[in-house]
Amino acid sequence: MSTLSEESRQIVASLACRVGPNADVARIAEATVSILQAMDAALTPIIGRQGVVAMYRRSVHLCACAHPQLAGVSDSAQAAPDLIALKSVLVEQSAVDALHFGEVLLTTFYELLTTLIGPALTARLLRGVWEPSLSDTPSQENSP
Amino acid sequence: MSTKVTINRLATGVPGLDEVLGGGLPEFSFNLIAGPPGCGKTTLAHQMMFALATPERPALFFTVLGEPPLKMLRYQQQFDFFDSQTINQSIRYINLADDTLAGNLDEVLRRIVSAVETYSPSLVFVDSFRSVVLASQTQDNPNNNLPQFVQQLGMLMTTWQATTFLIGEYFTETDTNPIFTVADGLIWLRQSVERNSMVRKMEIMKMRGQPTLPGLHTFRIATSGIKVFAPAPLNPVETPLKFPIKRVKMGVPRLDEMLGGGLPQGYSLLVAGPSGSGKSILAATFLAEGARNGETGVIAVFEQRPNHSQNAMLSNLIQTGQVGLVDSRAPDLSIDEVVQLLLSEISRLNATRVVIDSLSGFELALAPTFREDFRESLSRMVNALTRAGVSVLMTSELEDRYTDLRFSPYGTAFLTDAIIVQRYIEVQSRLLRIMAVVKVRASAHSDELRQYHIDDKGLQIGEMLTDQEGLLGGRPTSQPTETIHAGDNNV
Repeated sequence: MSTLSEESRQIVASLACRVGPNADVARIAEATVSILQAMDAALTPIIGRQGVVAMYRRSVHLCACAHPQLAGVSDSAQAAPDLIALKSVLVEQSAVDALHFGEVLLTTFYELLTTLIGPALTARLLRGVWEPSLSDTPSQENSP
Repeated sequence: MSTKVTINRLATGVPGLDEVLGGGLPEFSFNLIAGPPGCGKTTLAHQMMFALATPERPALFFTVLGEPPLKMLRYQQQFDFFDSQTINQSIRYINLADDTLAGNLDEVLRRIVSAVETYSPSLVFVDSFRSVVLASQTQDNPNNNLPQFVQQLGMLMTTWQATTFLIGEYFTETDTNPIFTVADGLIWLRQSVERNSMVRKMEIMKMRGQPTLPGLHTFRIATSGIKVFAPAPLNPVETPLKFPIKRVKMGVPRLDEMLGGGLPQGYSLLVAGPSGSGKSILAATFLAEGARNGETGVIAVFEQRPNHSQNAMLSNLIQTGQVGLVDSRAPDLSIDEVVQLLLSEISRLNATRVVIDSLSGFELALAPTFREDFRESLSRMVNALTRAGVSVLMTSELEDRYTDLRFSPYGTAFLTDAIIVQRYIEVQSRLLRIMAVVKVRASAHSDELRQYHIDDKGLQIGEMLTDQEGLLGGRPTSQPTETIHAGDNNV
């Protein structure tokens, strides 16, 4: 993960920004899910829903190896990332743990995409996730 | 002033493709790129897309079923033309897998149209179209009509001023696929496999309103992308021979005399002889003589171990840049690729002399699929080179046969303007060498069979062996009136 330090910082900062000053588990879970949704929205038009779901499941699997608490997040094949399950697991954690898991999951997802399509294109595709002010990003055309 | 429509032609950014297409890609055309898996369809599409797409002229790339987009992005990045910075700017990928899976062509069309209306692309790609066809066949909705879909798509894209490419596979040319009728352009990619050799070929089966170059054109895929080897352009008007003929020196003064004052400029010369007769040495001398007069040259070497066989003089010329080396050890060469390598080197160096050493090695270097047409290929190469105005020396390995007088193993002697033949003869238990000028088109030349030997300065041409006869039979006999013995003192 050392090669991704800058991106990791970006993810951590973005998560912290969305969580805001009052870091309770509900907000943390909400913020983590909202970033995942933004990633989903940015990627689904390009790599398809199935591609995003497969990547999400792989990320959860990688995280669950190190953090067994996350094991229950996604254990069945889904048509979309099962973010409700993620949320319900996160809110059961302490605030510190929830934030940590959120960071780990997002970073793992990002890192997985990087291994597949390289850092430049990954940064390019997910740029809108960190810069929500850009209104013309593909996150606009969120498929139902 | 003309009131007819002018069709703009887009430069595809694929080296050689614009020539094969007959001047580029017609704007707003509706095209099909077809071919078996692995033949380079997606790569061709991407290379054109990255070359053509700009923020003002954006591209949409629809991925349907088939190669997952993640993998496509992963592998296409390996090419130099892939520029991540353009993604989501001038180039957008849109995945239609879910709609296609449902098998509803109307929905697929609606998604395409809606994206086209949103982004107003100038370029549209659909990869792979084959899966759209299959999806329409595997479900039983009678409203799905492929011909109608293709027809509508073609019309919509053209009216939206988009140049469109459908990428498909497994099509057979004899299919009565509706897309063949609707498409303005059909670009067919093939792989021809013979023994262990694979050659990629491209054919423009159709391109409305364009004088495309007919036939199969070879191409390669490297990290820079696809490179098509278009045949060298034909010059219909051959420049007439100017008198007095300008001549280039061979570097062997006595040989120049035999040729009638040197090799006429722009001629092709075949030097045919058995192994060890000094053909390569003569070729190197020819280039060195050019360099001495401030000319540059190009040598194409088709030996397995070119550095091994190079002589010091030639190595020096190559190192100093006076002679360019074309040493393609790429497997499965095509004649057009070799001609292109030679022509680009000739124009880079502004060369006037070219050596091909040797035709036998050249034949071996060609992919087996081209060997059948070797004579024809040679003829095209000689024409392309002499049309470039250079003087060409080609060597040809020739088995000594004393029962007939042959100049090349390919029956190619008629292709060249001049021929020098070398022979071994046996005289008094010695192997001696003789050479003769057999032909110099439109020029007087010597008819003498001269003895020569090779020393560290190159070829040294001696006198005729007038006391011997039957030289070409390899075992000459002495004429009784003469007492001089060949080989002793006539060098």
